Order: sequence, then C-alpha cells, then structure tokens
Amino acid sequence: MTVDLVGNLVFLIIGVVSIASVPFVVLAIESKDLLKAIIFSAVQSTLYSFLLFLLLAPDIVLVYVAVSVGLLPLLSTLLVKKVGRYEK
Amino acid sequence: MRSRDIAFALLILSILLILAVPTFLGALGSLPPENIRSLARSILGLTFNPYNKSLWTASPEAVAAIIWDYRGLDTLYETMVFYTAIIATLMLYREVLGSRDEVRGRGLSLIVKRGTAIALPAIVVVGLSTVLHGMLTPGGGFQGGAIMAVAPVVALIVFSRSIIEESRLTYAHLVALRSLALLGIVLVPLIPIIVTFGNAFIFQNQAKALYSFTYPSTVLDVPMGGLITFLNIFEGIAVFSAFTLAFTILLYSEKVSRKAVEGEDIGF
Amino acid sequence: MDFRIVLFSTAVMALYINIAISVYGIIAKPNLVKKFIGLTIAQDTMNVMAILIGYRLWRKAIVQPPVLTNWSPTPEDIQEFVTRAVDPLPQALVLTAIVIGLAVNIFLVAAILHLYRHFNTVDMDEISKAKREMIVGETA
Repeated sequence: MTVDLVGNLVFLIIGVVSIASVPFVVLAIESKDLLKAIIFSAVQSTLYSFLLFLLLAPDIVLVYVAVSVGLLPLLSTLLVKKVGRYEK
Repeated sequence: MRSRDIAFALLILSILLILAVPTFLGALGSLPPENIRSLARSILGLTFNPYNKSLWTASPEAVAAIIWDYRGLDTLYETMVFYTAIIATLMLYREVLGSRDEVRGRGLSLIVKRGTAIALPAIVVVGLSTVLHGMLTPGGGFQGGAIMAVAPVVALIVFSRSIIEESRLTYAHLVALRSLALLGIVLVPLIPIIVTFGNAFIFQNQAKALYSFTYPSTVLDVPMGGLITFLNIFEGIAVFSAFTLAFTILLYSEKVSRKAVEGEDIGF
Repeated sequence: MDFRIVLFSTAVMALYINIAISVYGIIAKPNLVKKFIGLTIAQDTMNVMAILIGYRLWRKAIVQPPVLTNWSPTPEDIQEFVTRAVDPLPQALVLTAIVIGLAVNIFLVAAILHLYRHFNTVDMDEISKAKREMIVGETA
C-alpha cells in the first residue's frame, strides 16, 4: 500500500519537473537581453539537476551542479561583459 | 509571414517527429525499462563480491569501479582529450602567457572580501573530501576537481588579480602541476608490469587467475579499491589546475589581450 | 501502473521539445553568444536523456542507486542488490561526456573572444559581409 503511493508520487514529480523546464528554454532562446538568457538557462539547469537526483544518479548530480550552475554561467557572463549585452 | 519563418517552423516540427515517432513505436524498448540489461547485472554482482575474488574490484561503488577498473582505458584517453583541449585554449594567447597585467585592480568592497575569505577554505575542503571518498560514496576525481575549481575563480574576481601574481599559483607552477598529475595517471596502471617484470596486465587491480599482482584492498578498516584511490587523487589535481589555468588566461584585461591579436589584419 | 508509464512518456516528450527548440536557436539566431547558449542547452538535455533510459520500473520493492552500503555482504545481500539497483553503465559514460563538454565550451568562449577582437562585432551577418568585402578586395 505504501509502495503504491510513493511509486506514483515519484513519477508525478518527474513529470512536473520536466514539463516545468520547457518555458525556461523558450524564454532563454527568445529574449533579446543576453544576461537574462543566461539566468534563464541557469534556472533550467537547476531543474535538470533535481530531475537527475530523482532518477537516482548521485555522481552525476555532483558534477552537474558544479559545472552547469557554477562554472558555465560565470564563463558566459564574462563573455557578455566583453562583447556587449544586447542582441541587435 | 516570410518564407524564412515557415521554414524554421517546419524544421522544429520535423525534428520532433523524427525523434518522437520511433520512440513510441518501441525503438528504446519499453519506457521505463522493466529490467536492466545483462551486462549491468553481471557488473553489479561482481564488483564487491568477496566470494568470487578472481573478478572483483574492492570498491562497493559500482560507477567508480566501471570508470577506473572495468573501463579504465576509456577514462585514460578521455583525460588526454581534456588535456589537449586546454592546450588549444592556451595556444590562442601564446604571446601573453605568464605576463603581468598592466591595469591595477582593487577588488570589491571590504564586506565581500571578508565574507569570501571565510567561505573559500570550506569550498576546498569539501572538494578534497569528495575526491578522497570516491570509492565508498558518490564522488571521485572529476566531481571533487570541479568543486575545487570554483575557489580560485571566485578569489580572482573578489580580490583582483594581485592575489594570483603574488602567490604560488603562478602560470609556470600550474602547468607543472598539471603535467605531473597526468604523468601520475599514466604511471599508476603501468606499475604492475614494471614491478613484476612483465607478468601482469595493464590496469590490473586485484589478483587475477593468471597473474597474482595486487594493490592493497583495505586501508585501516575501510575498503579501498586498489588503484582507484590513487587515480582519483591525481585526476582531482589535474582537473583543478586545468580549470584554474583556463580562467586566469580568459580574465586578462583588454590592453594585454589585444596584444595577442595585433598583426592579424596584415596577415601574420 | 499505466499512470506511471504515461508520466514517464511525458517527461521524454518534454526533453524532446527542449532539444528541438535549442537546435532551432543554434540555427536561426545570428548572434554568436545566443548560439553558444543554445549549444549548452542541447548538450545538457542529451546527457539527461541517456540517464533516463537507465531507470527501472519497480513493482514490489524500492530501487536504490548503484552503491552498496553493506561492507560485509552475504550472498543474499548481493542478490537483492542486483535486483534493486539502477543501471550504472550510462552514468559512467555521461560523467566523461560532461567533463569533455565543459573543456570544449571553454575553448569555444576563447575563440569567440578572439573573433570579437578581430572583427569588432559578434553578429554573424556582419562578419560574413566583412569577409566578403575582404575577399573581393584582395582578389581585385
């Protein structure tokens, strides 16, 4: 009985988290301000790392959080500072 | 609407259809799978099995055992690809490598400096702990190295560039550290062959049926995994120094970086 | 049981929509930084897809990650571990892929900065116009 309820709940959260990441990808591709696009992509990476935790892959969560939410937005913000913030 | 917008809408739709139709007709098997494949079952059954000591790796973590023992050659070549990619980044700036910066920076305000100075050693300690426990819990060389690499980058932005130039993490030291770590990764699987004069396999972890060289399998009272511990430590050092190198090169001021580009419009 | 398979299939469809939108972003937008952001989203989504295939539908007992927590196991413990754990092979391959992806992304950022310092713009339309004028000027 308990296994049945917990089983349905985990799959429900997997479905909700992966559907919630689609609007952030659309906003990141469509916005003209490049800094906002980087922040939307970082939010989408956070939702992906939660999805990876639910899929029981703890090694991947450690690498993914350090790389995609830490180092990659830092690198992209440095790039945007040097080349110009607004797309034409 | 212009024809360009129609073409892009058709592109999105066709990618979706090409991916979705074979999946729901069964190309990936049933979703989610009912049973894992037989190779995974045999790896999980053999990785910490003290009743079958001719095929075991002494580490209770299956992912670290696959990366450094069962598929160790793949990881060795991947480390070499990583090494070459960072060399390619450094080659774009070859006239200005290792030189001092001409613009003196001041860093951020006092509150930010003191707060960061408390948090930075904590980041390095967490990264080291993740590297050293890679054979018991989720962790390992890549994970710990990526966590540790956040610390010098934050220090570079908060304290301005003088902290790198007046410390021991200069360009020459970082390159030497990275090359020594890669040398360590290459030598550790070759030690069985050197020590027993040719009577062992490459990447041999524990004693096999034919040859009987073995790395130690417990340290004090905790399963160690043989060569997995040493390879994790070297890989953590290599990843940490590679990311620090790449970020110090990218964060030069514009006056110094323009020297790497001058002369290209007349052809050299 | 049917409900769980339906939810899993919606997760797979949402990831496919992400791949399609980010590939559209790589092809259609002329700014180089936007192309770079789309490329990173596509790489991350494909890595998550590879791990999604390694999951396991459970009917009686709860699944666990592929880490053994009992340091002196009996043969029954090992048998139960094999019937409960998820697949460790895709996780090992994705670990390699993430680190190499980051190294190649760092090289791409260095190349974009180099292009900016040479041409003074990061818009692909203006760069190809400048290159066309340069080629026409040199062969005249």
